[in-house]
Amino acid sequence: MSEKWNITLIITRKKGDETPHTQAFPIEVDPDEYVLDGVERVWAFHDRSLTFRHACHHSTCGACGMRVNGVEKLTCITTIRSVTQNGGTLRIEPLRNFPVISDLVVDMGAMYLRLDAAHFSQVAPLPDTGLPFEDDPATEDPQFERLVDCIECGCCISACPIATTTSTYMGPAVLAAIEHRYRETSDISLLNLADGEDGVWRCHSAFECSAVCPSNVDPGWRIMNLRRKVIGHRVRRFFGIQTQEKVLR
Amino acid sequence: MKNASSPQNFLRWFDPRYRQIGTWGFILNRVTALGLTLYLFMHLIALGQLAKGAAAYDGFIALVENPLFKLGEMLVIAAGLIHGLNGIRIALNSFGIGTRYQRVMFLGLMALAVVGIAIFGAKMFLFS
Amino acid sequence: MDKPQAIIIGAGFTGCALAHDLALRNFAVTVVERGELTSGTSGRTHGLLHSGGRYCVNDQEAAIECIDENILLRKITKQCIEFNGGLFIALTDADEAYADTFAAGAEACHIPIERLTAAETLRLEPAVNPNVRLSFRVPDGAFDPLRLALAFAATAAKNGAKFYAYTQAENLIRDGQGNVTGVEVWDRTTGKHYSLRGDIVINATGAWAGEVAKMAGLHVAVVPTPGVMVAYNARLIQRVINRLAPPGDGDIIIPQRRMMCIGTTSFEVADIDYIPVFDDQVEWMHRSAIELVPGVQQTRERGAWMSARPLVGRAEKGRSMSRTFVAIDHKETDGIGGLVTITGGKATTCRGMAEKTADTVCKNLGLNIPCQTKEIPLESYRAFYRYSQESRP
Repeated sequence: MSEKWNITLIITRKKGDETPHTQAFPIEVDPDEYVLDGVERVWAFHDRSLTFRHACHHSTCGACGMRVNGVEKLTCITTIRSVTQNGGTLRIEPLRNFPVISDLVVDMGAMYLRLDAAHFSQVAPLPDTGLPFEDDPATEDPQFERLVDCIECGCCISACPIATTTSTYMGPAVLAAIEHRYRETSDISLLNLADGEDGVWRCHSAFECSAVCPSNVDPGWRIMNLRRKVIGHRVRRFFGIQTQEKVLR
Repeated sequence: MKNASSPQNFLRWFDPRYRQIGTWGFILNRVTALGLTLYLFMHLIALGQLAKGAAAYDGFIALVENPLFKLGEMLVIAAGLIHGLNGIRIALNSFGIGTRYQRVMFLGLMALAVVGIAIFGAKMFLFS
Repeated sequence: MDKPQAIIIGAGFTGCALAHDLALRNFAVTVVERGELTSGTSGRTHGLLHSGGRYCVNDQEAAIECIDENILLRKITKQCIEFNGGLFIALTDADEAYADTFAAGAEACHIPIERLTAAETLRLEPAVNPNVRLSFRVPDGAFDPLRLALAFAATAAKNGAKFYAYTQAENLIRDGQGNVTGVEVWDRTTGKHYSLRGDIVINATGAWAGEVAKMAGLHVAVVPTPGVMVAYNARLIQRVINRLAPPGDGDIIIPQRRMMCIGTTSFEVADIDYIPVFDDQVEWMHRSAIELVPGVQQTRERGAWMSARPLVGRAEKGRSMSRTFVAIDHKETDGIGGLVTITGGKATTCRGMAEKTADTVCKNLGLNIPCQTKEIPLESYRAFYRYSQESRP
């Protein structure tokens, strides 16, 4: 370790049916380590009963979303230096708007199943992977494919004020996935899926999803773009204009 | 309040801690909407005085000349401006217009609302 | 007859693929994992779907396993793999001299390769070191680690396998003869301790296989060999870039999502539950990455992490050890029934490892049931959350 900081992790704990409470863990860290490393240190050296989700440690799997000092972070790419100072504290809480299984582990099953219902594919042809207004220097050769930006971490849903009160709301990640899939496939059934009271119309434009997204998805922009597509589709349908149906999945 | 989604969590709507400017837009829209709805009911009650005859209405008008009511009217104007202008932003965004600039739009429109409130305030309190 | 009961310890690539294989062979499968699925070594792989090119000179057995499984995985898994191919690039005289050895090795392992000139290489991948002499095109790919394992787990769960995450195996239950008959576990989500009984227990804990074997008083020769990897916040290449040289440290850059990852180092430690990411190794990886793709200099580090791979073998240390795997039936090696250990190997070959291990399990129990995992396409990884909603014991 090049530099050493002493910080206190205040971690939300919950086992079984307990009411959640917090527990403080003073630890020594390298400030250039990531918050997830700090949490793992607590598990390794202080309390083996601590549960937290993690897998890839480099922002591709989306398992380690947590609230760090109140803000949703992908903890594997958030350096300790960027969120506290030497002698400071880090409040680590589970993502909101998901049921807590234990400690920092939340059940994201509902979100995953909604993403599946949207037939959202994690791999897409390269030209379809970014946001259309981005200046992406990557070659646009359609022969390439890549894993898309959305890592399904749930940070956006945790930050969303509507998801806080409405469990039936599809949520930013899912609507963004529908928008993405629609741009890729032009499949009209996706617009119908999003066009409902728990779909695009439930969003109330707080744009917190885009503020916390660790992976350039910009769900807020995608929800609004999807609304535009849904409105266009409705207008065409009203005037009896046939939209060419494409089902590519 | 629960960690999972629940209608009981609605108080969190009004908690701007750790959140960005978009939440302020969200909070302002909710607060002003509640205020305007409340005002609409009061307005209907006031209009109801008309049915009770001219004397009742005149008495009511005298009551609302009170500065406290004037402040209330000021708040109604402020709420109307904030909610209306913010609503324009949301409507434009919903048509896919200016979504990437929603922050700037929000700040600009709220600045406009402040100017509007100042003009109305000046008219109401300084030149009446 | 009742289904044979199998308990798998560890839900990494091997554990998940084995659960899938055994569930198809009509076993009642229970998987216990002390953390989240793939939270140990598996999740932290850099995600290279090997073509086998890396091993085609020094470890042809591993190379053949890789290319066979590479082709199979691309057929049976969806949504987890970006398959853009890879290049082995020669930068020095020594690399260039290695080219014919490499080509002969690839041919021996039936890995399809294509030799490219420097100009052709730079046309394909303009960001690689302009001093490139020549390159070979290989069928490499990149996968998302958690999702690949989840796809196996989802299919296993659909076929009845139970997955208990955050459930730590604390001890092996043994009968009077020392045979293993179950596992004592600790459910870390509730704090409860309980026992699971089974006809066979499979120790699929990879780098931790030695520790679990110790619970039955056995020795498994696995050397946890951590390596550091670094991710960068830009994607300058579309294909996997390998150094055309015998396998070494920091000689692969893998594009993944909007990132690039460089790997890896190789060292040995005693305690693998927490291994810090050493600054000097990160810097070393950074220099290696710049050598392969100079543009890395202008990108920012997105993450740095460590993963402890399980290398098997006794004689030598580190990279020289085989990257292939072992499935040990402890009845044959130690006279202890009811326990099979699987360790070693690579993510790319997880299905094949599971097949061999399931064969070993069947043999141990005197069963003769063929493997079906080569033909059956895996479920969507998200289906794991549909099929594994069962309550815990």
